[in-house]
Amino acid sequence: MSGRRAALAFWLFVGPFAAGLLVFAYVPIGWSAYLSLFDARNTVTPTAFVGLANYADVLTDRAFLSSIGTFTVFAALVIPVTVLLSLVLALLVNQVRVARAFFRSVFFLPFACSYVVASLVWKMSLFSGVDSGVANTVLGWFGGEPQAWVGTVDPPLYWVVLVTARLWLQLGFYMILFIAALQRVPAHLYEAAWVDGASPRWQTFRHVTLPGLRGALVAVLVLNLVNAYQAFDEFYNILGDSRGYPPFARPPLVYLYYTSLGSGGQDLGRGSAGALVLALVIALATVLSGRVLWRAR
Amino acid sequence: MGAELSRRSFLAVAGLLGLTTACGSDTGREGSAEGTLRHWYHAYGEDGVQDAVRRYAAAYPGARVEVQWNPGDYDSKVLTALQNSAVPDVFEAQVKVDWVRQRQVVPLDDLLGGTREDFVGTLLESQTVDGALYGIPQAIDTQVLYYRPSLLERAGVAPPRTVDELVEATRRLTAGGVRGLFAGNDGGVGVLTAPLLWSAGLDLLSEDGEAPGFDDPRAATAFGKLRELHQGGGLLLGAPTDWADPGAFVDGLAAMQWTGLWNLPKITEAHGDDVGVLPFPRLDDAGADSVPVGAFSAMVNARSADVDAAKAYVKWLWVEQADHQVEFATAFGAHLPARKSLAERAESLRDGPGRDVVGFVTDSGRIASPARWPARANTALSDAVSRIAREGAGAEGELRAAVEVAKAEIDRQDR
Amino acid sequence: MRPVGYHRTAAGRAGAAARWAALVVAGGLFLLPFAVLLRDGWSALPEVFSADVEVPFARSLLNSTVVAVLQTAGQLLLCSLAGYGLARIPYRHAPAVLYAIVATLMVPTAVTFVPSFVVVSSLGWLSDLRGLVVPGLFSALTVFLFRQHFLDFPASLEEAGRLDGLSRWGVFRRVVVPNSTGFFAAVAVIDFIGSWNQFLWPLVIAQDSDTWTVQVALSSLLTAQNPRTTLLFAAAAVSILPIVLVFVLLQRYLVRGVTETGLTGR
Repeated sequence: MSGRRAALAFWLFVGPFAAGLLVFAYVPIGWSAYLSLFDARNTVTPTAFVGLANYADVLTDRAFLSSIGTFTVFAALVIPVTVLLSLVLALLVNQVRVARAFFRSVFFLPFACSYVVASLVWKMSLFSGVDSGVANTVLGWFGGEPQAWVGTVDPPLYWVVLVTARLWLQLGFYMILFIAALQRVPAHLYEAAWVDGASPRWQTFRHVTLPGLRGALVAVLVLNLVNAYQAFDEFYNILGDSRGYPPFARPPLVYLYYTSLGSGGQDLGRGSAGALVLALVIALATVLSGRVLWRAR
Repeated sequence: MGAELSRRSFLAVAGLLGLTTACGSDTGREGSAEGTLRHWYHAYGEDGVQDAVRRYAAAYPGARVEVQWNPGDYDSKVLTALQNSAVPDVFEAQVKVDWVRQRQVVPLDDLLGGTREDFVGTLLESQTVDGALYGIPQAIDTQVLYYRPSLLERAGVAPPRTVDELVEATRRLTAGGVRGLFAGNDGGVGVLTAPLLWSAGLDLLSEDGEAPGFDDPRAATAFGKLRELHQGGGLLLGAPTDWADPGAFVDGLAAMQWTGLWNLPKITEAHGDDVGVLPFPRLDDAGADSVPVGAFSAMVNARSADVDAAKAYVKWLWVEQADHQVEFATAFGAHLPARKSLAERAESLRDGPGRDVVGFVTDSGRIASPARWPARANTALSDAVSRIAREGAGAEGELRAAVEVAKAEIDRQDR
Repeated sequence: MRPVGYHRTAAGRAGAAARWAALVVAGGLFLLPFAVLLRDGWSALPEVFSADVEVPFARSLLNSTVVAVLQTAGQLLLCSLAGYGLARIPYRHAPAVLYAIVATLMVPTAVTFVPSFVVVSSLGWLSDLRGLVVPGLFSALTVFLFRQHFLDFPASLEEAGRLDGLSRWGVFRRVVVPNSTGFFAAVAVIDFIGSWNQFLWPLVIAQDSDTWTVQVALSSLLTAQNPRTTLLFAAAAVSILPIVLVFVLLQRYLVRGVTETGLTGR
């Protein structure tokens, strides 16, 4: 087939998608870069050029910097626990013989639930501040005082609420990734270890299972990192209210939302600058973490 | 390689986009009949308001009006919509200088006609920017401190007349599952910030409106009192409903609650005569008692497809229909009518706590949300107050940062 | 995977019992939120669709369904076509195009919601189904996965189709797609769930309550000044019903989608 016909066929297949990607991925980024150089409050067609002032503004804004800090705390809490617990769940499910599919479904089911619904259950019921809230009831059994979970800043009990909600929603997903990896570990390796007299539990795990899981481990870590960066739904719905959002536990996307579209000033110039800075940070973090983890194996 | 793509593949893709477009116009706002006006309200907590405003809209003879009820973060929604959308045509809010300067709302002076003198003057002023009126006040809202005299008596506490007494009363009223004070699940950061400034003789803005009004060491003292409230352990946090709802006070979770006058009917229904009201107390003799006064006003979006039709509707509802205005202000929760001629028709405010509140508004009412007070300054100040009161951050440093932001924002507004 | 004989030892039996106990406890914890949802919402279930509800809840369910169906169908069509073109058509600049597509993966779409909002609002698509659906159709990740899938597709099958006189489009439609239904189903299930559950984008785009999705409707009730808790729980229970059905009926594809594609939707 001639080059021109191949080109025509190629663009007929790829063209519609490519055009859409151009309009909805490249144009926004370009426009954003443009807006970030202007005083673009309440407008998408600004006229007041301000150079790099928006970037200077964002990078010295305590709220933005603390949003990065919030992300770091959140990631530090969520990622290790997620990796550990999803791996444990995968091992448990993989080792039972009866009702394996049932347990797998139970742990995976929350994946189908939305962050909004989970936020509702967590905020209004599980961690409700009233004495009859589920967490407070459990505390009561052990003689503890009821707590205002979401509203307690010192100590920051709201982290318990945010982290457990995310764990519930995502553990099953990562468990499935691990189960898939476990099932790819060749059975003859286990037999070989058995024959070699490896103590069945720890040594087999250490020398057979774990090496087979490295690929999945890297995937889980990187996905987890990128997803934690993009946290918005549960923060907005658990901590936000009809008046806006408190100054703590404000992750980057919540900051960007209130800066550019919420009650924080409708400043699309500063919001765009923040979005680009954040995009750059995420791109770097993704590549670096992927590289580092991959090399470490 | 064969006959290549039939035109069908192209059509399939075009068809997909066409399909979504068609459905878009089906479900999007273009689906409404030509000339329909969209009217937004925030979600009033009082039962019956939603039915009433839908009824008013249905009764309007000039056009079809669709009411949208907005629970959740209404301020953000309005701000985003004004930025680039023809919806809503009419909405309730408090005028902001930025909206005027960006030409997002239209002047409404010509709607008042002979009724201008009848509206409460300070309210009209609060909705006026550069000499033009942008919102027609719907009703006057205020907030007060409700308390249960019987509980205060039992604890041997007098009704608090200073901030220190309030801190003390909150502590002493806390016993046996009842907390001393409820001022919102954020511990008063949202609703007590302005009253605390007033209590110290300060304000959000300076008197001429050209600078922040809290660039003063006494601001740190006032917000330090909120920190004391938080540390005293008597503040109710994590209640099922927030400050704007009387639930916590009605259910006996707190002995005192800062909430709206609008809740008076529900509160007297629950506690009968055992209800007292107070303004927010003064910090000391250099400060003053206060109650915040605000008025949601009907405004018209400059991007509306038919500004004149929207204005005509606003005139009909909020200038001409006195009966609707009275019902809106008084039938569901207690509000003060925005017009002097209607004030005496508010029966629930003739005696008892209602009459006291009318006195507070007359003597110590302060405009809660001035048009010249910028959104970003408000965020900066409430962030600062939150850190001071809830996290124990140093008050001077936090407030200095907020003052800087507020100064820059106020200057920018006039550029 | 355990070698035969392990379970017969005493230590093995104790271990098995401990594992069972752990599974049952963990399973209970995972089901607890669903139980709570039903417990707190049960009494208000009949009221959910009544006119008395503060937000147009039934309408929002319809919107979510339309958005999720259109987005899933559109994404499957556009991304499978593009993935096939990239995998199979020998075009000189194909590698450059692939690179340009994959490069966008570096910047997650959630992070660019501000710029995307700017574009969509300039198109006049605020509070419009087009604004909700169209920007989500162009998933670079899905294209990439389809490309990987088609690279592994047996060339001999395509060759046979071609010998039968099918055009390239004919081969794609009559040979490639019918033999990839499992993969399509896997991607579809993940897409559908992701689309049904998305929140930030509809929150930003759907200003007019007639275009709210079910997540936006629930959120506005949840962040309201005085949430009507029972009703809210009932509405939430109704909102997860369709997705639980999809989950239960198509779990096989869902698991396959997750393991083969690593698509997350979040």
